[in-house]
Amino acid sequence: MRKLLPVLAAIAAVLVIPFAVTSPYYLHLLQTIAIFAIVVLGLDIVFGYTGEVSIGHAALFGIGAYTAGVLSMHFNIGFWPSLIAAPVVTALFGALLALPALRVTGPYLAMVTLAFGTIVQILINEIVPLTNGPLGVKFSTPALFDWRDYSNALPFLDMSAKRMKESQFFILSGLALIGVIVVINRILASRFGRAFEALRDSPIACDCMGVSVYRHKVIAFVASAAFAGFAGVFFAYSEQYIAPNNFSFELSVLFLLAVTMGGRKSRLGPLIGAAIIVYLPNLLADISLFRIVAGVIAAVAVIAGGASAIRDPDSRRRVVTPVLLCVAFFVFSLFLQKITDFKLTLFGMMILFVVYYLPDGIVGFLKQIFAQIVPSLFGRAQMSTKGGAESDAFVAAPIVDKDRPLLNVGRVVMQFGGLKALGGVDLTVKPGTIHGLIGPNGSGKSTMMNVLTGIYTPTAGEVKFENHSLAGLKSPQIAALGVARTFQNVQLFGELTLTENVLVGLQHTYKSGIFEIALGLPRALGDEAGARKRAAAILDFVGLAGLANEEARNLPYGKQRLLEIGRALALDPKLLLLDEPAAGLTAPDIKELIGIIRKIRDHGITVILIEHHMDVVMSICDTITVLDFGEKIAEGKAAEVQANPRVIEAYLGGAAATAV
Amino acid sequence: MNIFAQLLVSGVSVGMIYAVIAFGYQLTFATSKTLNFGQGEALMLGALVGLTTINFLIGQSIGTFWAYLLMLPVVLVFGLAQGAFVEWLGVRQAIRIKSEAGWIMATIALGIIFKNLAENVWGRDPLKFPSPLPEAALQIGPVRIQPMEIAIVAGALALMAAVEIFNRRSIFGKAVVATANDRDAAGLMGVNTSLVITFSYALSSLSAAFAGVLVAPVTLTGAAMGAVLGLKAFAVAIIGGLSSGVGAIVGGLILGIVETLTGFYISTGYKDVPGLVLLLLVLSLKPSGLFGVAAIKKV
Repeated sequence: MRKLLPVLAAIAAVLVIPFAVTSPYYLHLLQTIAIFAIVVLGLDIVFGYTGEVSIGHAALFGIGAYTAGVLSMHFNIGFWPSLIAAPVVTALFGALLALPALRVTGPYLAMVTLAFGTIVQILINEIVPLTNGPLGVKFSTPALFDWRDYSNALPFLDMSAKRMKESQFFILSGLALIGVIVVINRILASRFGRAFEALRDSPIACDCMGVSVYRHKVIAFVASAAFAGFAGVFFAYSEQYIAPNNFSFELSVLFLLAVTMGGRKSRLGPLIGAAIIVYLPNLLADISLFRIVAGVIAAVAVIAGGASAIRDPDSRRRVVTPVLLCVAFFVFSLFLQKITDFKLTLFGMMILFVVYYLPDGIVGFLKQIFAQIVPSLFGRAQMSTKGGAESDAFVAAPIVDKDRPLLNVGRVVMQFGGLKALGGVDLTVKPGTIHGLIGPNGSGKSTMMNVLTGIYTPTAGEVKFENHSLAGLKSPQIAALGVARTFQNVQLFGELTLTENVLVGLQHTYKSGIFEIALGLPRALGDEAGARKRAAAILDFVGLAGLANEEARNLPYGKQRLLEIGRALALDPKLLLLDEPAAGLTAPDIKELIGIIRKIRDHGITVILIEHHMDVVMSICDTITVLDFGEKIAEGKAAEVQANPRVIEAYLGGAAATAV
Repeated sequence: MNIFAQLLVSGVSVGMIYAVIAFGYQLTFATSKTLNFGQGEALMLGALVGLTTINFLIGQSIGTFWAYLLMLPVVLVFGLAQGAFVEWLGVRQAIRIKSEAGWIMATIALGIIFKNLAENVWGRDPLKFPSPLPEAALQIGPVRIQPMEIAIVAGALALMAAVEIFNRRSIFGKAVVATANDRDAAGLMGVNTSLVITFSYALSSLSAAFAGVLVAPVTLTGAAMGAVLGLKAFAVAIIGGLSSGVGAIVGGLILGIVETLTGFYISTGYKDVPGLVLLLLVLSLKPSGLFGVAAIKKV
């Protein structure tokens, strides 16, 4: 009910606005804002949440509009079917761009989408038979229910083929916007939204939890493209005329500006941003209004800057540049004669200003101010779920065939340039055991971990897990087979809560797809509830139940390591790789850790343990393998390894070994 | 066959221009993992400044050829200054405040501003750039080549060679390479890495400005000339690999030739399509580029 109320209020507002705003000009302006807001909200998924930059959203928007155009021009298919077809078409184009461009990290998506944007505009101009080229496409207002296609067969249906009134189309656009906000809210609150946040905090941990960074970035971009296409149809029918020039590079940049200026990672920000970019041309068309606005901005800057300089003398140097810029901007506006000539310059300066002095956008800025006044408003929603018994933390113990090795590493070589980090190492791990992997620093232990989890692809050799060959598989695939790990330098999702960290690991338990989530179907809700219950049980198991709603980055170091183990357990692994879990832990913590590792083994999970604390290794490992300079130098039970002269030599040097 | 050879030759000269711009992207990407999204505008500004300078020199009754040579240092210095300015205003600040992707938006914004200013200074119409070499084509075997096309190829190779030699031989070049390899380590060894990054931007814009005056005599000059060239060079940089100088040349040649062939055998309207197609193909098959080396993740 609490969720429903704002939606109802918004719907009521949309229904009332046409009565309040009677000027068709302003109603059309509001309608354009609503349509642009849909694109900007979609762009925020990519730009705000996954941190990738798209400079091609105007082109995707245009493809949506032209899908409607082509359908209406060539097939006489109207508004409603276009509304379904256009998102599908733009999503396909989105996939075409995202699938190759997101394979590499870096500014590739920005570069590819920029190229795409320009080329789409050229193509729309060129493919005249399909798009009518530079002449553009005309539309007529859609009918509320378009029965015309059937009116020959069923003449009585023609009666309802009335053209929509402007106010009706406005209401429709407004409702579409509300619908989009609801859907985006649901997606971002779901496992997808969590994955988007997680992949920015630690892409490697995300991949190793079976949550493919690549896949989720592609999903974000494709969804974003679909929203742009959806908005494109509304735009086409709202303007009733589209031409290639509508969808230029500048519009793409405007969309980015709207997201940044309004405030990323919020729903309100894109709305504000869309309103600004729609109203911007009006502001820039009226020189006297522009001068007034520039004057007000300069005055505010001088007052705010002055106040902060008096309060905090250290900030003087930092404050003086933006204040001077604002004043210079005002002086510039007084000299400006023909504003249209310098429209793009002003636009560029706005972008620079926003990037430097308003990086969190208007919403972020306001939030900061309000958070200082009323901090309680911005606390996290406390969600408490009671966990069950310890056994709830684990699924039914995997069936263990004691004699068949779970993991079989055969002569694995890992070479970095001239350096052989692993020089043909064999390793056999029996199921249900704790297998220690020790050796001096630089002996290749962590490299082995990275080979086992697909972060490195071995130069030669073979890795068999159960019946699967792991060599060549990517981290998420290996995780899906049941190999989980922790990291030597902790790789938590710092801005997610403890529960959410574990939920990322539980991603594999979700059965519902993105459409079920968007529609809020029961299965999607059930998945989430079930996963939260297990997350609570897992946190209970690692002893962190009391901190479930804390952000992971606020945990002390030792507890961060325990959380990593919990998150790895969420994967329901058959094999758990622990990379120096005791590093940095206090003595009581270590004792607790030993207990936890034993319990994990008792639940049927095989453990490989890398550790420098020899008391830990010697007390709990069933078998120990010793590496030195990328070679296996010893293997056996704790006592055997301890007595092995080669091991002593590796740790203490040759002279010490002979002295003993 | 003659036509084909002729197309190859024109493709090579276009491709070398792309290569020089792409080379500029590589310079800054190596040191700072950022690049100038307004590189096309750096090229355009270089060409227009060159145009004003050469017209002034010709007005002093200096021959076109000598005027062109005298103009070059002016344009190169302007390019250096423009690049340093972009880095100072667009990149350094954005990196300092840890604004994610802020540098992308800032360099785009600067590009837009430069283009708009150029429109106001030089007008919106394309202008003719005086050619320092005779415009009559030479007949070499089966193909006709404009002397300026030969100059483009020679000039482009000379510039890239000069920068490479500088990087390999001089101590300052070593600082550039060190910063490219590991910025933190270079910083700890006393290299002023932020100066190195500024310098790489200056060099990058210098290459673009140089490309601008190379290409200007065979095309027209104007505020709008940069955008598409900058974009094509993106494709070239990705096709060849963002880390490989040879990649830029090979990528440039591939794209230049494929475009010219498409323009002739299919339609000039579709001349710009192969760039995107090749870009997507290379990213699908070998994401680090034809000559790039995949980076090793560190955990």
